[in-house]
Amino acid sequence: MINLHEWCTYYALDSAKMNVGVAHSEVNPNTRVMNSRGIWLAYLLLTTALHVVLLSIPFLSVPVVWTLTNIIHNLAMYLFLHTVKGTPFETPDQGKARLLTHWEQMDYGVQFTASRKFLTISPIVLYILASFYTKYDTTHFLVNTGSLLSVLLPKLPQFHGVRLFGINKY
Amino acid sequence: AKDSKIAHLGYQEEKGEDSFEEAPMYVAVLTYMNYGIVILFGYFRDFLRAVGLEKCHQAQEREEQRNFVPLYQDFENFYKRNLYTRVRDNWNRPICSFPGPFFDIMERVSDDYNWTFRLTGRTIENVINMGSYNYLGFAENNVDFLKTVAEETRQYGVGVCSTRQELGNLSIHEKLERLVAEFLGVESAMAFGMGFATNSMNIPALVGKGCLILSDELNHTSLILGARLSGATIRVFKHNNMQSLEKMLKESICSGQPRTHRAWKKILIMVEGIHSMEGSLVRLPEILALKKKYKAYLYLDEAHSIGAVGPTGRGVTEHFGVDPNEVDVLMGTFTKSFGAAGGYIAGKKELVDYLRSHSHSAVYATAMSPPVVEQIIRAIKCIMGVDGTTEGQRRVRQLAENTRYLRSRLKKMGFIIYGNQDSPVVPLLLYLPGKVGAFSRAMLKRKIGIVVVGFPATPITEARARFCVSAAHTREMLDKSLDELGDDIKVKFSRHRSSYRPELYDETDFELDS
Repeated sequence: MINLHEWCTYYALDSAKMNVGVAHSEVNPNTRVMNSRGIWLAYLLLTTALHVVLLSIPFLSVPVVWTLTNIIHNLAMYLFLHTVKGTPFETPDQGKARLLTHWEQMDYGVQFTASRKFLTISPIVLYILASFYTKYDTTHFLVNTGSLLSVLLPKLPQFHGVRLFGINKY
Repeated sequence: AKDSKIAHLGYQEEKGEDSFEEAPMYVAVLTYMNYGIVILFGYFRDFLRAVGLEKCHQAQEREEQRNFVPLYQDFENFYKRNLYTRVRDNWNRPICSFPGPFFDIMERVSDDYNWTFRLTGRTIENVINMGSYNYLGFAENNVDFLKTVAEETRQYGVGVCSTRQELGNLSIHEKLERLVAEFLGVESAMAFGMGFATNSMNIPALVGKGCLILSDELNHTSLILGARLSGATIRVFKHNNMQSLEKMLKESICSGQPRTHRAWKKILIMVEGIHSMEGSLVRLPEILALKKKYKAYLYLDEAHSIGAVGPTGRGVTEHFGVDPNEVDVLMGTFTKSFGAAGGYIAGKKELVDYLRSHSHSAVYATAMSPPVVEQIIRAIKCIMGVDGTTEGQRRVRQLAENTRYLRSRLKKMGFIIYGNQDSPVVPLLLYLPGKVGAFSRAMLKRKIGIVVVGFPATPITEARARFCVSAAHTREMLDKSLDELGDDIKVKFSRHRSSYRPELYDETDFELDS
């Protein structure tokens, strides 16, 4: 009974691609972007900056600001991680990643890596904070929960490569 | 404990370990912000182009084919359209002199932000060349040195128009191969017309299905292509990481071939002497120890290190004091240090005799051209001192001196440099994509020509400029290029602590083939 890691080590490394003009043997550099140094910090700083900018708008109350932060953050995350497909540069993998979103490309599809766990937990933390600051009001709760579900469901391993109703398929 | 750690790192620097210092965290965050802003502007400009407010310079689909399935995915071109084109003027610069220590660049300007260029007719003269792989300075136009080349061309002609196995085997080829074998200190050698083809055509002859190739993470495309063409199983180990290599060797030998678990027919470790983007030296003694322990073969690609390292220019084997006969396959190119074109494979006589009949290159590729062969012969004779002068030795020593000088000065000035202190390839880290363009243009304005590289050719946070030291550079030239590296671009990020890349064993280090 071998685990996923061993299976992949023995069966998955049997291909090497031709990487013209690059200085490494990484087939799809997009898979490594979320593991790079400092990107988690950059993401946290960006979310904080969004929140601070929203807080400085005078006519918005604090609960509304938190809900807006939650919604805008989840919308941006859905857009960049679960809508945009393929790579912005040509890769030597002959189009294997062309129909995959960035979330599906991360770490070549291996589930439960550190970056995936981090990006799953951060909208949940934001949701908990938003629920607290909106004092568990019903409307805010419904909006925030809907937004959180929209960004959590695509991250489940069962949804890897799934396109509901043919949306965003090609 | 902290003092002993610093002392330990200092000792490792003394021993000649590669250093890959990390930049401060704020630099990494700024790099991502830089990419983020460029991406946002990219989307905005794409929108303007789609709407028609901005002229689209790229090819577009014809009206009649509007509803067809698109031939290309325009997102795949996003990076090229919106990032690369902005800084495109830093690459493919036309030159109009030979690429020695100085060269002349043809001035070109762009009226539409790098979509098209036009030559103004002026030349930027005497630009210091820090981009050519001219390690020993043999890219020169010296009449005395080239006399023998002219004579041999008169005797043998310019081309052979045949493969080595048919009519193309000239006596000058055999002379070259004997000389290369003598230069390297091995039994026999064979020369090929193209350095890239030496790797890609000969690795399939050496290994096949049922063999295992352990290849360094940052190996060159030619090695990757050769490994792929051979049909062997390929495993990639972390760059210069002996623990990763040993772990991989142990696991592969224990479990055998995939699915059948039979023993491997051959295990071949493929490494490069100097990696051209990192400037790091291979850890040859440790690899040889591992090779002997696990009974594997070693393929050493000395494209950048032959002629450039070692007290007499014999490559990494001499640098580490190792007997070249211990390395099973010594491969190198004549393009860099010898100022010619082509590659060689050297080793035991049985190996080279086998390659003479089984290599794709020997059977199908045209033989090397005689003037090129003579250039290599006279370059090798010069380095060995056989031609009666000490010019070769002077060049090798000058290169070592220049390398040490440039690296230590750059480090002291506060730049982050990668690689080994003896490697003539000096990558200077720029990190931010904006600085990549600015740095190259600023250096050209100050009459220094360098090569810059960015994502996706390098990892996303490690865009760099690369200096290639040459024996033809004088101290004044190096001083001039160092003085011009001022504070304008603000890339002096070094905190003067060399940190070595940690070993990574997490499960994200492999590729799923689905």
